[in-house]
Amino acid sequence: MNAALAIARSRSWRALNARLPLLLCVLALGIATGYPLAILFLQSVFPQILGGSLEGFLDAYRRIGETPDMLVLIRNSLAWAGATTVVAWLFGIPCGYLLARTNLPGKLWARLSLLVPIMTPPYIAALSYILVMQAGGFGDTLVGGLPEGLRAWFFSFWGVTLVMALSSFGYVALAVEATLSGIPRRFEDAATLLGASWGQTARRILLPLLLPAVFNSGLLVFLEALSNFGVPAVLGTRSNLPLLPAEIFYLVTSWPVDLALATSLSSLLCLFALFTLYGSRWLAGVLGAGEYRPGQASITPLSVGQRWLAWAFIGTLFVLSSVVPYAAMVLTSLAQTWGVGWPTLTLAHYTDIFTFGSRGLQALWTSLWLSITAATLCIAIGGYIAYVNVRASGWAQRFLDGLATLPRVIPKIVMAVALILAWNAPWVRIDIYNTVAMLLLAYVVIYITDALNYSNSTLRAMSVNLENAAAVLGASRFTIFTRVVLPRLKPALLAAWLTTFIVCMRELVASILLLPPGTDTTATFIFNQFEQGDLSVAMAMATVTIMLSTIVLVLFTLRRR
Amino acid sequence: MSYFLEARGLRKTFDGTTVLDDIDFRLERGECLVLLGPSGCGKTTLLNIIAGMLATDAGELHCDGDLLDAPARGLHQPMRERRFSMVFQDFSLWPHMSVADNVAFGLKVQGMARAERRRRVAEVLRQVQMEAFADRSPGNLSGGQQQRVSIARALAVRPRLLLLDEPLSALDARLREDLKVELGTLLRDTGVTAIYVTHDQSEAFSLASRIALMYQGRIEQIGAPEEIYRAPASAFAAGFLGVSNLMPYRRHNGGLRLGERTDIHWRLNGVPDEGQLMVRRESVWVSPSEAPANGCIALAGVCHRTNFLGDRHEAVVSVGEDGFTLRGFSDERVPEGTPVQVRFPAEAVHFLQR
Ligand SMILES: Nc1ncnc2c1ncn2[C@@H]1O[C@H](COP(=O)(O)OP(=O)(O)O)[C@@H](O)[C@H]1O
Ligand SMILES: [Mg+2]
Repeated sequence: MNAALAIARSRSWRALNARLPLLLCVLALGIATGYPLAILFLQSVFPQILGGSLEGFLDAYRRIGETPDMLVLIRNSLAWAGATTVVAWLFGIPCGYLLARTNLPGKLWARLSLLVPIMTPPYIAALSYILVMQAGGFGDTLVGGLPEGLRAWFFSFWGVTLVMALSSFGYVALAVEATLSGIPRRFEDAATLLGASWGQTARRILLPLLLPAVFNSGLLVFLEALSNFGVPAVLGTRSNLPLLPAEIFYLVTSWPVDLALATSLSSLLCLFALFTLYGSRWLAGVLGAGEYRPGQASITPLSVGQRWLAWAFIGTLFVLSSVVPYAAMVLTSLAQTWGVGWPTLTLAHYTDIFTFGSRGLQALWTSLWLSITAATLCIAIGGYIAYVNVRASGWAQRFLDGLATLPRVIPKIVMAVALILAWNAPWVRIDIYNTVAMLLLAYVVIYITDALNYSNSTLRAMSVNLENAAAVLGASRFTIFTRVVLPRLKPALLAAWLTTFIVCMRELVASILLLPPGTDTTATFIFNQFEQGDLSVAMAMATVTIMLSTIVLVLFTLRRR
Repeated sequence: MSYFLEARGLRKTFDGTTVLDDIDFRLERGECLVLLGPSGCGKTTLLNIIAGMLATDAGELHCDGDLLDAPARGLHQPMRERRFSMVFQDFSLWPHMSVADNVAFGLKVQGMARAERRRRVAEVLRQVQMEAFADRSPGNLSGGQQQRVSIARALAVRPRLLLLDEPLSALDARLREDLKVELGTLLRDTGVTAIYVTHDQSEAFSLASRIALMYQGRIEQIGAPEEIYRAPASAFAAGFLGVSNLMPYRRHNGGLRLGERTDIHWRLNGVPDEGQLMVRRESVWVSPSEAPANGCIALAGVCHRTNFLGDRHEAVVSVGEDGFTLRGFSDERVPEGTPVQVRFPAEAVHFLQR
């Protein structure tokens, strides 16, 4: 009798033990992402819930529905993100085609020219463009007076769209290039042999096969634009173009704070993002290109005239997306006096930043250790969660999978607001809010997706038999993970570390919302100095940050060779 | 000029290496010409030139009274105007279209009316026994099924010339065998003129009206399968098709001397002074016991290996003091090192000068 009980107990203990890692992961992610988002949503529905009352059910949403300004705001946000996507398509698709399907000379340079704007934080590009376009900016002092019409156009819907599209068309170009160069030329040959004209082949064969890439990259651009905080905050406000993320920010940070409205707008923003994601997945399923093995693509030779035209296109985009903003940034960081013509140059602003004990150096230091710690935590936790996720099954696994994909879609500003609510709530006894640890938590929660994604794809490609082989030899679960799984995961984790480090170094919105007063990261330093009119120091810091990220990136790339 | 397709002096060079040299052949309507040769000999390149995907560097290509290619006169008819169609080794079905849409594509491009198109698609799919799969997506089909669809797609438009580039090479052995037979029937029934590229001699033998044997960018020999098999024009042709024994010989004392020392009696009319003597493996008889010659050439040797082939044994024998080896068949397993007699009929001998 006793023996039977012992066996039963040990059996259920073993079952629990086998599921323990999965449950732990669910618990961890549940607390980190699920709980804050749940609070955010509840708060938007029951505005008084943090005070312990269920009064005012749906009040905030009703207010949104009844305020014309709010509806305009929502419409603006969606229209702006849509316009950005279309412009990014117009810029990116031709670039992708030229890179994949023509004998354009200097493709390596063209590709590099696409990477520069991808690597540049959009808010820094926006700040630089303000320096060029504002009254008394470089456009006036160096070029000799901008037409007022152009200035007015720039500080409007389309100008803001242009800046955002310039910083994201590279995704479209690279995605289109990857797909186009993998569509085997046989597909087109077969059509041409059957008598199809160039146009028919393009429309019936190439376009349907290309559409998924176009949609997926467009989705990326749309979500990025919809949830981007920097450009709306920097440029939207100067262009009389209120956009959701910036408005949510002001509702949370400036008096009178309206958490109910902020959380309901945040929920709507999430809803749009989720809707876009699933809508485009559905669309991709409908348009479904079917699976095929990538092959050698056909290359169209360009005439001399076409080459010039192609390079004029790519060159113009490069000038607009990179040369102009970088020139403005570097020049401002070096400028001592302003006037008409070339400014007097000085390195004083850089010395300012690097002076021991200066706020700039502190901000740089904070950013560095925060980013390194966050990146390291992300790959440690993310790698493990991905492993558990890939090797598990059942409802808990599906739940974990859902939780893990959430931060990919949830706009960063929403996540930041949710974290504030969650850790500032009356029932939380840990004093984490208003410390730097809060920001570290936010970074990990927001950016763990890269580590999860990268590890997931490696792990899915890896046969379970590798682990089983070790298990047969009597290796423990820990040994299997450290000796068999980790070494194979290493390249993915390194790449994830690098990406996470770079995005954390430039993170603006969570930092600005969650940093305790008196502490800065590089991004908040740049943002605050700029808003306070200390343009040169802001731009010096921007230059230093970008250079730092680039150096780390180059070092990693060289070492991997 | 009564030939349906005629190639004269085709040549192709890639970055200074000549891949095709001086290609001549003619093809009559309804024939199936098989381009047979080892991998890398230029078969695909030649097929692509005929299709119009590549332009030839020299020579002329005519089809049915049209001049397709003549670089000397600056002529190159684009592939979409040639009204040929092609079956690729990797099927190359469009993954975003259903089976029926794949097959209908060429007809749609020709502007065939919808009802007629439907009828034709159904007809061709029935010919390749894929009518049950019309609405499926190619990605869900097996390799053999995909290749059937690909053949249907090529046949649907009733091409002037059907080009097939190793259509069976991507399939596994059993399937290849089945589809080979069906393809033969299909080609005969539709009466389509075809050029079929392969490196597999059994495909060539069962499908070809004529075989063009290719080697290093040239057509080594062209002729009916039996003719090429029976009378190969070169050592390459003899070695590539079937299993042959080749022995260097020269005239000696009114007979022939094989290798350095082995002499045989031979009537010398019409025999070249020296060259290679060829005899097929299946004509060589190996046995441990001596038998009367009966008009056969008989040589003494030592068996040094036998391979069991299922229906008989292959014996590898070193002959005479020269030690050149001959392959032949024997009824039983011959132990290694056993002295044997090797016999072959005089009619089975073929002389090669190259
Ligand atoms: N586009 C090309 N550029 C350079 N060399 C080529 C090209 N296409 C084929 N070749 C070369 O031509 C030779 C013949 O190729 P191919 O016609 O594909 O042979 P096969 O089909 O008989 O195997 C090969 O040596 C191959 O490397
Ligand atoms: Mg080939």
